[in-house]
Amino acid sequence: MIRFLLRRIGQGLLVVLGVTMVVFVATRLVGNPVQVMLPLSSTDQERAAFTHTLGLDKPIAQQFVEFIGNLATLNFGDSLWQRRPALAVVFQHLPLTLELIACGLGLAILLAVPLGAFAALRPGGIADRFATFGGLLGLSIPQFWLGLMLIVFFAVRLHWLPTSGIGGPSHIILPAITMALPSMARLMMMVRSSVIDELNQQYIRTARAKGLHFTQVLFGHAMRNALVPFLTLAGWEFINGMAGYTVVVESVFAWPGLGFTALKAIDHNDLYLLQAIVFTVAIIIVIVNIAMDVVYKAIDPRINLA
Amino acid sequence: MKLLSLISGVALAAMTVFATAAASAGDITIAIGSEPSTLDPQVRDDGGERAVNDNIYETLMARTPDAKLVPGLAAADPVQKDGTTWEFKLRPNIKFTNGEPFNADAVVASVTRIIDPTLKSEQISYFGTITGAKKVDDLTVDITTNGPDPILPARMYWMKMVPPKYVSDPNFASHPIGTGPYLFDSWSRGESIVIKANPNYWGGAPSIGQVTYKFIGESGTRLSGLMAGELDLITNLLPEFTKQVPKFAAVQGLETSVIVLSTENPSTKDPRVREAMNLAIDRDALAKDLFGGYAKVTQGQLVNPKAFGFNTALKPYAYDPDKAKALIKEAGAEGATVTLQGESGRWLKDRETIEAVAAYWTAIGLKVDVQISEFGEYLNRLFDKAHRPDAIFVANSDELLDADRAVTSGYESGASFASNNDQDMAAESKAARTETDPTKRAAMYADITKKAYDGNYLAPLLNEEDIYGMSARLDWTPRVDSKLIVKEMKTTD
Amino acid sequence: MTAANILPAETGATPRSKWWVLAEELWRDKAGFIGFVVIVLLLIMAIFAPLLAPYDPAVQSILTRLKPPAWLDGGDWAHPFGTDQLGRDILSRVIYGARASLLVGVSVVAFAGTLGVLLGLFAGYKGGRIDLFIMRAVDVQVAFPGLLLIILIVSVVGPGLVTTIVVLALTNWMVYARVIRGIVLSVRQTAYVEAAEMIGTKPSRVIFRHILPNLTSPLLTLGILEFTNIVLAEAAMSFLGLGIQPPATSWGLDIANGKDYLFVAWWLVAFPGLSISITVLAINLFANWLRVTTDPQEREKRFARAKAAERRRHRGEGR
Repeated sequence: MIRFLLRRIGQGLLVVLGVTMVVFVATRLVGNPVQVMLPLSSTDQERAAFTHTLGLDKPIAQQFVEFIGNLATLNFGDSLWQRRPALAVVFQHLPLTLELIACGLGLAILLAVPLGAFAALRPGGIADRFATFGGLLGLSIPQFWLGLMLIVFFAVRLHWLPTSGIGGPSHIILPAITMALPSMARLMMMVRSSVIDELNQQYIRTARAKGLHFTQVLFGHAMRNALVPFLTLAGWEFINGMAGYTVVVESVFAWPGLGFTALKAIDHNDLYLLQAIVFTVAIIIVIVNIAMDVVYKAIDPRINLA
Repeated sequence: MKLLSLISGVALAAMTVFATAAASAGDITIAIGSEPSTLDPQVRDDGGERAVNDNIYETLMARTPDAKLVPGLAAADPVQKDGTTWEFKLRPNIKFTNGEPFNADAVVASVTRIIDPTLKSEQISYFGTITGAKKVDDLTVDITTNGPDPILPARMYWMKMVPPKYVSDPNFASHPIGTGPYLFDSWSRGESIVIKANPNYWGGAPSIGQVTYKFIGESGTRLSGLMAGELDLITNLLPEFTKQVPKFAAVQGLETSVIVLSTENPSTKDPRVREAMNLAIDRDALAKDLFGGYAKVTQGQLVNPKAFGFNTALKPYAYDPDKAKALIKEAGAEGATVTLQGESGRWLKDRETIEAVAAYWTAIGLKVDVQISEFGEYLNRLFDKAHRPDAIFVANSDELLDADRAVTSGYESGASFASNNDQDMAAESKAARTETDPTKRAAMYADITKKAYDGNYLAPLLNEEDIYGMSARLDWTPRVDSKLIVKEMKTTD
Repeated sequence: MTAANILPAETGATPRSKWWVLAEELWRDKAGFIGFVVIVLLLIMAIFAPLLAPYDPAVQSILTRLKPPAWLDGGDWAHPFGTDQLGRDILSRVIYGARASLLVGVSVVAFAGTLGVLLGLFAGYKGGRIDLFIMRAVDVQVAFPGLLLIILIVSVVGPGLVTTIVVLALTNWMVYARVIRGIVLSVRQTAYVEAAEMIGTKPSRVIFRHILPNLTSPLLTLGILEFTNIVLAEAAMSFLGLGIQPPATSWGLDIANGKDYLFVAWWLVAFPGLSISITVLAINLFANWLRVTTDPQEREKRFARAKAAERRRHRGEGR
């Protein structure tokens, strides 16, 4: 187990390094941050002087060497846009994205499991067909459109919920629903198909023949075996969220999470902040991947993860 | 039964008290387009930070809502002692809200800090000419410049005065303290900033007791918030929505849209072609149809009508498509391709304006290649000295309300985004920047703008208006310099 | 009765053409059938857009801005879906928008699919170091914050149709590689392929005769499902301003343009959004049917379920 963990961690680090390199190169190609920072009516001398003050006119090779050295101490420099340490900016916005993903995924799981299980009880029946159709519908609606429609309906027309931003508990409701819908649909369909498959297995028939009550069978056996693929999908949904797919929801609801911040960082050509964001996100994704592998091994020792 | 109704009556009363305590008469909520990243007033050039700090900090010079430059923290207009020194006398008995006195030491500290390269202030381009400040006595300061600088008073309207001791406190950037009519109260990151009235303000306590700033980037969401009753004031209201909102106000703002034409590129070299390009644009239609009437046709120049150096003698370019067609024919430029560069999303109706102008030029016989770039790439092209674009769209904002900014950017050859090779004009612009006699200076700008007008160096389009959406209870006349000065606002409840 | 139609080979009746049999099965799955019909309609709409659309989608008319749909107050049938803030006809934009979505979807699936399949085949067949390397590359790419990568590339290269296609292809090839590699590995382990390799069959022949036929069905389903992902991804990119640029039309772009006017003119956003939803839903319904039909195991399950449902109904009636 330990060797396996070490190997995975090593691979993970390589991945994170690779990702950060790519960002370093990409951000240097992107353009001159100073042009965006100073007012448009500044003169060329003012821009040149400011570039020099920020140290952005150093040769690329020197910047790269400094970057690698700073990486070792996790020093990402100061965000050019916000003028404070880049990592601090990341840690300020990260919890908001995590909150969004957690609430969205939590809501999705809460709904998907019972719906999927219920649909699986009578495959081909009315409930099942509705559930399948509903699931496909949930996958088809673009999230940003759903978010906008929810705002118009619940916030503007009915005044039940706030139109945007963070704040009290009422602010997370619409964003969480918008985040949850496609995840819920996918998870529900997966639960349904896993449970159907499990319920058809021989050992289930045996258990029922033995006289075990149906719910016992359902929860005790069928769903537990469906756990691994379910966890895989749930983990993938989480990673997807981290990988930037919260950007759209964050944009629509003015939710100041990491995706939203990344978009702004790109707007401002803020190289340092972008590096910090991508680095952090990559690390989180790698950690989640490794954690999932560990959990698999714990659930089902038969799984070979090589 | 009676007990029940008594209890519900009390409960109702209690709820009402709670409800109104939260938003008592005289409290407002303002939506700004982005959250400030720091509340240090001297580091960034950020509209969000200014929206808050314009009420907490003050400046030596101020402007009336109509943009006239008047003394602020200074007791009177500054006096120019010699070519490079301006003397400011300060108002007495003013304190920062932490007790530090506002005096010459504070001014010297503020000036020295902002021009210090280690601060890396983004506002340095407004203060590039300032070399330092010297205390003469407690209420008199000399500000020195690196050469004659007639714009210095206007510059001091942009520089906020900070408390000399507290400025080195680590909390300075997140807990601002100034001399102004409002006190910083709290900053809930990602959510809101709250400021409260300063009861000891030297100009008298302001009417509105508390302001909550919310950060909403999308104009549609700001509008929704206003309509839902969550907000009292939103900026950048689109002209289409003036009828929807409870109240709105429009004022001529700082932005002027223009298309800079190259005098050297083959397709726009011929002055007849450029004249035709100017005559082809129906600016009245643009103002009325695109901007709903909330824009004024420029008077043939990039300089803002409220700025010093505005040439009142110039008239707007005429709309004469027939003459334009004739000129194009005469110049043999029919079917010639002109590249029109631009961006989308940074300025109000930018893409629509660019496409409309392209349509006008196509109508007179030119072929127009519209190239909308992403903002970073657009800026590269805007400032590219080696390859000037045939035509490029810009919305210029004149923060200091002085012709120097506009002229240096768009008219002076070799400077920011000018596309001409007129060295005489460039020399005159440089001279005007340091001409201390206002009459002479104004005459030089009149000369420059007239020459550019006749030579069709630019196609100035519209002076855009700023439109604000307000709740019914807010009473406010907006300012030309688009600052949200809360002490000028009142609520009707 | 149902049994005979699902397994035609066993009836001994006149053998009908495979397509006819498939068509009947499609008709049986109402949802899948509707999906198929909608897809065909969309294809027609995309291909014949210039003939079907009442107006040029880029034509602006300042006088007819923000007209509501025909059935509301103030609308008229000249613009059935109303107009946007520049006076452009929404119905025409919706029709032309289908082109962008379908074009991007098909191109990306083609490029990403080809790249992914080739790499997956290579990895699965060669095994060893090459396999390890390719799968690591897949891991790195999967770990890369996908949308952030898209945003970064677009900000370097500049947005547009070609950039959108390239960027989406670059971020979506991995699933093909993984799936194909898995199938290749499992097929190679079957007895007959092992035997074929043992007797010295050329690799290309092994691939073409044994491996590829096993790929078509899962590839088809995967491609179709990925297509829906791409349509949604393009819409999201255009919505964020990173995808299709004006004056071209795209549903996502129209939603972005319309969101500022959401409160006064909901139709700017509603119709493009509905178009995306209907398109993706139709493809999903059809793909669902296709997946079940082309996978023998799933077919069995479907047959069994239909039978069980029938029995339950009869039992209910019998009471």
